[in-house]
Amino acid sequence: MSSETVKPRIHSAAWRISCWATVAFAFGTLLVFVFLHRFVASDIQRRSDVWLSGEVETLGDVAERTPKGALYDRVVSEVAELAEREVSNRRATEKVPSNSVFFLQAGSDGSLTLWVGAGDGEPYLRAIQKTRILPDLPTDLHVGGIAVPFRVVSIALEDGSHVYLGLSEKDELRVLNRLRLRFFLLWLLLVLLGFGIVFFTTRRMLGHVREITEAASRIGHSDLTARVPTTRRNDEVGQLAFTLNVMLDRIESSMHQLHTITDSLAHDLRSPLTAIRGKLEMSLRYMADEEHADPIVAAIEELDRLTDFLNKSLDVAEARADALRISRSEIALNELLKTMIDLYEPSMSEKGITIGLRCEGEVKVLADAALLHRMIANLLDNELKHLPHACQVTISVRQEDDHASLTLEDNGPGFDPSVLQNVFERRVKGRNSDGHGLGLAFVDAVARAHGGAAKAANREDGGARIVITLPLTAGDFAGQADPIAHQIGTAA
Amino acid sequence: MRLLLVEDEIDIQSFLRRSLEEAGYEVGIAADGKTAQQLAVDGAFDILVVDLGLPDMDGIDLILKLRQRGVRAPVLILSARRSVDDRVRGLEQGGDDYLTKPFALAELLARLRNLFKRNSPSPAEATKLRVLDLELDLLRREATRAGRTLQLTQQEFVLLEYLCRNAGRVVTRSMILDQVWGIRIQTDTNVVDVHIYRLRGKVDGAGQQPLIRTMRGVGYVLRDR
Repeated sequence: MSSETVKPRIHSAAWRISCWATVAFAFGTLLVFVFLHRFVASDIQRRSDVWLSGEVETLGDVAERTPKGALYDRVVSEVAELAEREVSNRRATEKVPSNSVFFLQAGSDGSLTLWVGAGDGEPYLRAIQKTRILPDLPTDLHVGGIAVPFRVVSIALEDGSHVYLGLSEKDELRVLNRLRLRFFLLWLLLVLLGFGIVFFTTRRMLGHVREITEAASRIGHSDLTARVPTTRRNDEVGQLAFTLNVMLDRIESSMHQLHTITDSLAHDLRSPLTAIRGKLEMSLRYMADEEHADPIVAAIEELDRLTDFLNKSLDVAEARADALRISRSEIALNELLKTMIDLYEPSMSEKGITIGLRCEGEVKVLADAALLHRMIANLLDNELKHLPHACQVTISVRQEDDHASLTLEDNGPGFDPSVLQNVFERRVKGRNSDGHGLGLAFVDAVARAHGGAAKAANREDGGARIVITLPLTAGDFAGQADPIAHQIGTAA
Repeated sequence: MRLLLVEDEIDIQSFLRRSLEEAGYEVGIAADGKTAQQLAVDGAFDILVVDLGLPDMDGIDLILKLRQRGVRAPVLILSARRSVDDRVRGLEQGGDDYLTKPFALAELLARLRNLFKRNSPSPAEATKLRVLDLELDLLRREATRAGRTLQLTQQEFVLLEYLCRNAGRVVTRSMILDQVWGIRIQTDTNVVDVHIYRLRGKVDGAGQQPLIRTMRGVGYVLRDR
């Protein structure tokens, strides 16, 4: 279950990484293309300018040498048309050039003396007069009614007239447009390819990380002998797995040490306790006199309390270290609570306390029955000891998403505010408590050992509330796995 | 009945021997695994009590070795360890039982009786239990005392049945919790006492001899005499 909640987050990390990488890559390649484009564009411009300058000089020569007369127009027109044929950058298929070149001669008075080109020469002349065209310097000319500008070069003749040769930038623009389109398609392809490669590589890598995360979150709660999967490659992820496994080795060995210590401590204390208890029981057997038996009975009861204290301390210590040994089986929580309440109800009603169970349907958890029994016994013992007469205890159990929630509420005096913050700590107890301060610490320990949690609060309208959550299944540690996945997500 | 006690702690050994002998067992004693093997193989014991922490070997290894050598007698394992390890669970499934230290003598004796009963052919299950003038009909879930029907809840009936089956013998609070409620807990509150107190109010009518006796510091006993 948890893997399904973890997956999309890690995918989104891969997504994010590839997005950023792609943006950087796209920007870089775009810069390269822009530079190339500018280089090509200026080169084309330069070539056509060179051609224009050469042609206009020829034309100027021809115009100057040809005597003014009937033939003048024809000769110059033919030269201009010839020039038009060798326009650079022309598409081969285009046989008939249409108004891509014009030749214009303006007299010294500014009138149009000769026009070779498509259509009427007047608008061109007007445009030329509006634009300041310096001799021998190619200039852009925008003619009214024609979208594409002309590149125009002029030359002054000796008689004071000017010859203008204009070349439409149409071809040049078409070439550049084609270049741009190809650049764009190539760029798109590169970017998509780059994105794909980065995305799949990151996802693969993060997939390893996710496997490690999932394995690591399983370890410790159920099985300390398991290890995270390692890859054959000795990259960062492989190193991570290796380091985690080394860490787990150390944890396992210290856990083993803890077990050994608690076991030997338990053993060293239990043996004398057994002997003392046995001897007391034996002497009690021969004690006919009730009065003399009293201290012995009291001693046995003290011994039992001591044993209970010893067990709980060790359990709490182990649970705090995540080392409480639990053997899980499927348990109907509502049934278990009903049994416990049946057991405690008479003692409660002796004290005038009413106890009720609220549950909607069956709630099954995978848990250690013996530990749950002891946990609930601790809670109920607590109520029995501390609640004043005529109070009410309500236990409710319900299923919420992936966990069971057990709530115990009473209308007694509630927790002492001074201990409320750390009521689940060892040795923390209320001022009037005669317990050893382990009861609630044990409750918390059991909840944690199962991958759940215990919370204590005072109710708004008085009384205490303890909420215990237990995951429904053993493998479900969504509560722990999520923040880990999240951290990986944000770190990446 | 012959019982072999394998226990290395002298203190525990001595009081266990005394109380087991008082309970009618013929007790053989071994303080280590080696002696235990010799004794168990040579002498025909009906039941074994084995402490897990022996000086020369692990108690479970001893039991497994004995089983290999053909010792069939049921074993009660005494353990000072905190949790039952898987191997003990295995033995438990094989018909043996375990008890954690410290324990009440009454519980030890009750477990030994159960072990023995479990391993010997049982007579047809009785449908009625009778202790003095108290009679329990197990099929109809009815209890009568001197002809008077007792108004018992189901839980009270189970509790009374358990006391009747152990009539004349002491049962401890933790035995009652385990056998009647199926819960193994240690409580320092009076939950069991109140149940017994209520049951007693129903069983012992006015002028009748009290049947359920409190053995202070130990537990309860249902009189059979």
